[in-house]
Amino acid sequence: MKDTKLGTRVIANDGRPPWYSHDGQNCDTYIVGIAGASASGKTSVAQRIIKNLNVPWVVLLSMDSFYKDLTPEQVKIADNNDWDFDSPDSYDYDILIETITKLKQGKMVDVPIYDFETHTRRKDKHHTVYGANVIIFEGIFGLYDKKVLDLLNLKIFVDTDADICLARRLKRDVAERGFDVQGVLQLYQRFVKPAYDNYVYPTRANADVIIPRGLENLVAIDLLTKHIQRQLQDRKMKSRWDLARIEPPLAPSPNVIVLKETKQILGMHTMMRDANTSRHDFIFYADRMATLVIERALDEIPYEPQVVETPTAKTFNGLKVAAQIVGVSILRAGGTLEVGLRRVLGDIAIGKILIQTDPSSGEPQLHYCKLPQSIHAPDCYVFLCDAVVGTGAAALMAIRVLLDYEVPEDRIVFLCFLAGPQGLHVVSQAFPKVKIVTSFIDPVLNADTLYLEPGMGQFADRYYDS
Amino acid sequence: MSYTSSQVIVLPQTKQLQAMLTIIRDKNTQRADFIFYSDRIIRILVEEGLNHLPVVEKIVTTPTGKEFKGIDFQGRICGVSIMRAGESMEQGLRDVCRSVRIGKILIQRDEETALPKLYYAKFPPDIASRYCLLLDPMLATGGSAIKAIETLIEYGVPEERILFLNLIACPEGIKAVVDKFPTMKIVTAGIDQGLDDKLYINPGLGDFGCRYFGTDK
Repeated sequence: MKDTKLGTRVIANDGRPPWYSHDGQNCDTYIVGIAGASASGKTSVAQRIIKNLNVPWVVLLSMDSFYKDLTPEQVKIADNNDWDFDSPDSYDYDILIETITKLKQGKMVDVPIYDFETHTRRKDKHHTVYGANVIIFEGIFGLYDKKVLDLLNLKIFVDTDADICLARRLKRDVAERGFDVQGVLQLYQRFVKPAYDNYVYPTRANADVIIPRGLENLVAIDLLTKHIQRQLQDRKMKSRWDLARIEPPLAPSPNVIVLKETKQILGMHTMMRDANTSRHDFIFYADRMATLVIERALDEIPYEPQVVETPTAKTFNGLKVAAQIVGVSILRAGGTLEVGLRRVLGDIAIGKILIQTDPSSGEPQLHYCKLPQSIHAPDCYVFLCDAVVGTGAAALMAIRVLLDYEVPEDRIVFLCFLAGPQGLHVVSQAFPKVKIVTSFIDPVLNADTLYLEPGMGQFADRYYDS
Repeated sequence: MSYTSSQVIVLPQTKQLQAMLTIIRDKNTQRADFIFYSDRIIRILVEEGLNHLPVVEKIVTTPTGKEFKGIDFQGRICGVSIMRAGESMEQGLRDVCRSVRIGKILIQRDEETALPKLYYAKFPPDIASRYCLLLDPMLATGGSAIKAIETLIEYGVPEERILFLNLIACPEGIKAVVDKFPTMKIVTAGIDQGLDDKLYINPGLGDFGCRYFGTDK
């Protein structure tokens, strides 16, 4: 029986700061690989590094998740403790490499869950991992495969004395898992020790750093932590205040669509902008405006010819929407377009992305992301909603999330009530295929308050009365 | 045709509007969808209709302390639905204009003369001072629309303050109405080819009131 350890898990609850540069391109995720003997303390070292780093959104990825599925015959052998799980061949390197490659590119991945009862990967379940700034990958063969090695930024080998490893393994398997001493020693002699000597120990040569004595070696772990921190420091993106000082071009990009300024639009804006407008009225006009923005956005999706017969038996050559649409609101303010989404698109699925501004740095941070399955459909368009585009920082982050979930850029339509030239420029520069529909463009982004002027004030506060 | 484009306003024929019209024309469309898409088109019709009301400039102060140069609508409105089908447009009107006053007119074909006859009219008492949004989803021969407009004028509403909101019109009906009333306005989502020999709009969508209210089955 093997240790299930942690599988993968996201540690820390803080929001995730930007993981991409100001042009919207992902920076590679920093990946640390840790190898070493069974019970050498790989996981403890990983956890110590995570604790020291104290950065949010670190993912611990265990190689155990990538065991190969066993056939029914092989399962019988395994149940008799005769199967060699300590061979480098027992891992599915294709899925492992695909997973680490995607994580490195910042994309969302489904990490398999290995069921040690059935010795197969769960068909019905997986861990969805998204949004790591640092990934720590650990396993006895963590530094074994050449292709895996190429993906690692830092390679660590935990070199703990073999006697200590055996003692720990004995203690763990006997005390915590109810094995008998005889069985553990038998497995150790037959599989664990030979595999270590033949395959694991030689991978020391692939390591950048060898940590003798494992977790006891605090000096080594702290030095490593400092090194990782320096690497992460170099990846900071421009702040929102830098974005606010960008000089935008006079004319917005052709992918920016502004509602025609009719009397209705102007009249509704007059109501919404007036500081004296009651909350009741503000909501009413916001919902009405949202409906019009969404109706306009619907002209940006594909249609196909559709012939129908009327009740009077006449033929009509019409059109039909040839796409699925999913709404995604950038919380909190983007939720103000949801009433409109429901009015126009009825039972549309709506995903949520919570992005908050970190009060200490002014940077946007990703806190939460839940997207409907249908965003993966080949004909799916995403209506990404936020109330106001000021600096464009939140829009940039939300679009980046959708791209990381592999929504094609030209399938994203960004909807908002109000936008400023800087934000529109930032978004359309970074993501030129994303269309942006807004009901109005305001001329000024105040570089100190980051509010648009004349603007509408704090949109979500006015809508939600907070 | 004798009408001018300023008198007859056709909604921009966007792809999504055409797709919505396709759904409500389809005889196989379920009633829930028929209502949902009709309401969506009607809201757009009302939004467009309101664009033709007079406005004055209005400057407001935003929460950032800056001025916004906007507009304010002049004059009050009321809705008048031609029963029964016109009542289907009241929800869309209320979605856009909360607590709007609504009057009703019942016009039926007189069995003896075959002409439209006014059976019932109930209006807000101050209707003469309001802009009237007259609601009827289909404009076929124009018989009931003309009767309704005549009634409004009798109640003191100036002709130029009447806006007729309509989903599907045809050239015959438009001509009949604008020939008689050259200063009112018609806002419609689409103009069909014409009338068939049974005086149904071709291709049309059948009986709107029956499909909306579920009395067709």
